[in-house]
Amino acid sequence: MQPLLTLNGIERRYGDVAALDGVSFSVAPGAYVALLGPSGSGKTTLLRVIAGFEQPDAGHVVFDGRRIRDIPTHRRGIGIVFQNFALFPHLTVEKNVSFGLLNRESETNMDRRAIDAKVRDMIALVGLKGLESRDMHQISGGQRQRVALARTLVTEPRLVLLDEPLGALDANLRARMRDELRSLHDRLGVTFLHVTGSEAEALAMGDTIIVLDRGRIAQVDLAESIYNHPASPQVARLLNCYNLFEGAVEGREFVSSVGRFPLDGARAPGRPGKASAYAIRHDRIAVRPVDRPISPDEAGLAATFVASEYSGSSVLSFFATAGGQVIEVEDHLSLREPPNYAQKQGYALAWEPRDALVFA
Amino acid sequence: MQSAVMKPALALYTTLFLVFLYAPFAILAILSFQTGPEGGPQFPIIEWSSYWYQHLFGLAPPSRVAPLPIGESLFRSMTLAFMTMIVSTVLGVMSAQAFRSRFKGSGIVFYLIVLGMMVPGVLVGLGMALVANFFGIDRHWWSTAFVLHVVYTFPFAFLVMLAIFNRFDKSVEEASWSLGVSPARTFRKVTFPLIFPGVLSAMLFAFTLSYDEFSRTLFASGRDLTLPLAIYGTFAVEIHPNVFAFGVLTTLFSFALLGVYAILMSLSVRRARRIAIQEE
Amino acid sequence: MVATRDESEMTTTTTTIAAENAHVDPPPRNNGARVAYWLIAPGVVWMGLFLVLPMLMIVYVSFWTQTTFKIEPILTTKSWVTFFASDTYLGALGTTVRIWLTVLATTLLVGYPSALFVGLFVKNKTIQTVLLTLCVIPFWTSFLIRVLAWRPMLGKEGAINLILMKFGIITQPIEALLFSDLSVVIGMTQIYCVFMVGPIAFMLARIDPNIIEAARDLGAGFWRIFRTIILPLSMPGVVVGAIFVSVMVLGEFATSAALSGRKVNLLGNIIVTQVGSLKWAFAAVAGVILTIVIGAVVAGLLRIVDLRNEL
Repeated sequence: MQPLLTLNGIERRYGDVAALDGVSFSVAPGAYVALLGPSGSGKTTLLRVIAGFEQPDAGHVVFDGRRIRDIPTHRRGIGIVFQNFALFPHLTVEKNVSFGLLNRESETNMDRRAIDAKVRDMIALVGLKGLESRDMHQISGGQRQRVALARTLVTEPRLVLLDEPLGALDANLRARMRDELRSLHDRLGVTFLHVTGSEAEALAMGDTIIVLDRGRIAQVDLAESIYNHPASPQVARLLNCYNLFEGAVEGREFVSSVGRFPLDGARAPGRPGKASAYAIRHDRIAVRPVDRPISPDEAGLAATFVASEYSGSSVLSFFATAGGQVIEVEDHLSLREPPNYAQKQGYALAWEPRDALVFA
Repeated sequence: MQSAVMKPALALYTTLFLVFLYAPFAILAILSFQTGPEGGPQFPIIEWSSYWYQHLFGLAPPSRVAPLPIGESLFRSMTLAFMTMIVSTVLGVMSAQAFRSRFKGSGIVFYLIVLGMMVPGVLVGLGMALVANFFGIDRHWWSTAFVLHVVYTFPFAFLVMLAIFNRFDKSVEEASWSLGVSPARTFRKVTFPLIFPGVLSAMLFAFTLSYDEFSRTLFASGRDLTLPLAIYGTFAVEIHPNVFAFGVLTTLFSFALLGVYAILMSLSVRRARRIAIQEE
Repeated sequence: MVATRDESEMTTTTTTIAAENAHVDPPPRNNGARVAYWLIAPGVVWMGLFLVLPMLMIVYVSFWTQTTFKIEPILTTKSWVTFFASDTYLGALGTTVRIWLTVLATTLLVGYPSALFVGLFVKNKTIQTVLLTLCVIPFWTSFLIRVLAWRPMLGKEGAINLILMKFGIITQPIEALLFSDLSVVIGMTQIYCVFMVGPIAFMLARIDPNIIEAARDLGAGFWRIFRTIILPLSMPGVVVGAIFVSVMVLGEFATSAALSGRKVNLLGNIIVTQVGSLKWAFAAVAGVILTIVIGAVVAGLLRIVDLRNEL
């Protein structure tokens, strides 16, 4: 299948700073792609280049088989949903949604009744029925988000760019809108490129995830693969579900400041002597009392319990090593009993060597 | 800080300052009710009367005091101010819109525009008169004086619009483009309605500045007098309280204009809501 | 998984693509700048024709030959020589500078304490706005009417003399109040001090109250705080105000005409009378000199504070 969108070596500089430093990837039609990057990684710049608000200094964007550098935004057929929603404050909900259809350059021959019907359907689809004549300051944050979505989707763009669309919502609403966004995508069959700084959001929503780090692509893969096999320590750190140790491979062991870990069965063991990083996922660590020491075929270390944090279906516990490094352990409540660790008590943290990742 | 002493002292000073600002005008208003035509422009008030107001409108019996030539000059000033308001607001909006994107030479252009409000009227007036003489162009309030009024008020409109655009959220325009709406139509349908309060302020600035402007008009307007020129003409001769009465009336007119501006402002804020209700 | 190698591989491929690209595509069109030029063009043309051209014309005509009632485009420096040989003209230049300096001082003296009160001592934003509006309201009265309003105030039988005599402070009316340097200075001060109050109050209102609080905690008295914190931070406002006042006072002629009984002749008055008697070349010479004076004053003021860093 021919990709809908292809980016080829996109570069964008602001003075000496490269916001985008040779970004290439492609998006298949109908896909839900999540673009994950920390703030400052260049993800918003990337969206602005695709939308046509900014020109890349080098590289090209191919959309629907055409290079679109010289095509202005309004002729690209790419919709965008802004983080701050960027609604038209002087128009009602209905006028916001119908704005594109009534004012766009192409398809001016669409008759008023057809437009009205389409707008009505879209307003119903996003659940704004009854609020048509409300002003933008008379509706809630979640409703504004829906107006922003409806306004874009009603113009039937081939590609919708979502710039941290859930960033301005509170946590409760964010979870609900996640599901709604996903189901809207599946129902309308539009291609979504969803930019986010939240690893949880990216993993939950994207079929494919593109990880952007300091203006470069760090990894492109299916959500599950990214979660299980981050390609670099940077990606692992970004995913926020790995404990990372710096150190070096010596013989059959990884040597770090917190201890020596056997490498038998560990994935991608690095070459001996080279500086590398060792990662173990939060939920792959078992917590045991100190009197049950770590066996030779296990990896592990001793640490003191600091605090726990409950978040719905899991508990995140923080331990500190003697050297002060914080180790995070996640217990899924569906798998284990809710843990009950004692404050300032020492524990043995153990894991299977084959669950660990070693980066060269 | 010895606020205990400083604050009341400064408050008193500020009060005196306000008295200093307003006192002459209060005196002028009082003296405008001097009896006429024998009463002069000074104290004491011989008798309270509205004679000079009647005199202004030609309702008083003819006397040795010539009536102020305000009828036609008022019309000219209003027309001139209106023309100036339209042109300088259009220029101001266009230029400020241009300054939203970086372009080469914007620094020099900025100073060129601001220069228009800095150069004293007597200088541009003189220059314009010389240019007109040189090219054999007749000087009129609606031609040579008008272009100078715009030179003077356009920078104000420009600066007002620049300030408005500084606080303008560009993403609503980008959103409109992304919906397939051309930049020109986006400006008409999104940008302009949103900056409209600023445009009103620019218009108010331009109108009042032009309406009151006279040093540029003095050399550039030819024979027909505008209102400020008519008043300036009274400087040379003996002044009568009719000028004071006229001052009171123009001030009231200015306040009426301010009132209209305030009403338009609040209307433009409320408009969106009203449209919403009507079209429901 | 060898991530670093992957990354380096990717960059090499992308750089080749980028290099290739540069050959294929023409440089991107800078649409924003092109539209900007079209938008700015009418304003620039207008200012060029009706501001720059007239100013150049003044310089040009100042070198024309002046005969009794007309000027001819024969270049000469005669008008310039006449100007600098004439006590009247040089006197006008002196008067202009004297009145300007005096009014600059009085507007600062009258305006600064009021700005200090409004900008720093009034904490309530509403009262602050009301006070500033009160300062601006007189602007909606005709400038000329405001000048004229001083006549019944300052005259021999004017309000001030009347009040002073009533309280027995003076027995004879003070005649020097009207038609003198003093009346011109008083009139100009009242008309222009708002331009001083506004910018200063604006800068003072931006001072973080915590700084002053901290200084007071360290035991600094009012004068010390004023000298070391308030005054330096308000300087940009003073300079902006001074530029406004200077430009307007230097270009003045109406106030002096109305309140001095033609005793105070500024360069502006010279220009008006010369034009009145069709002495265009002399008027142009006075105009060039006035332009130079204003340019020097503004440039000098801008040297005190770099406004671009401050505002």
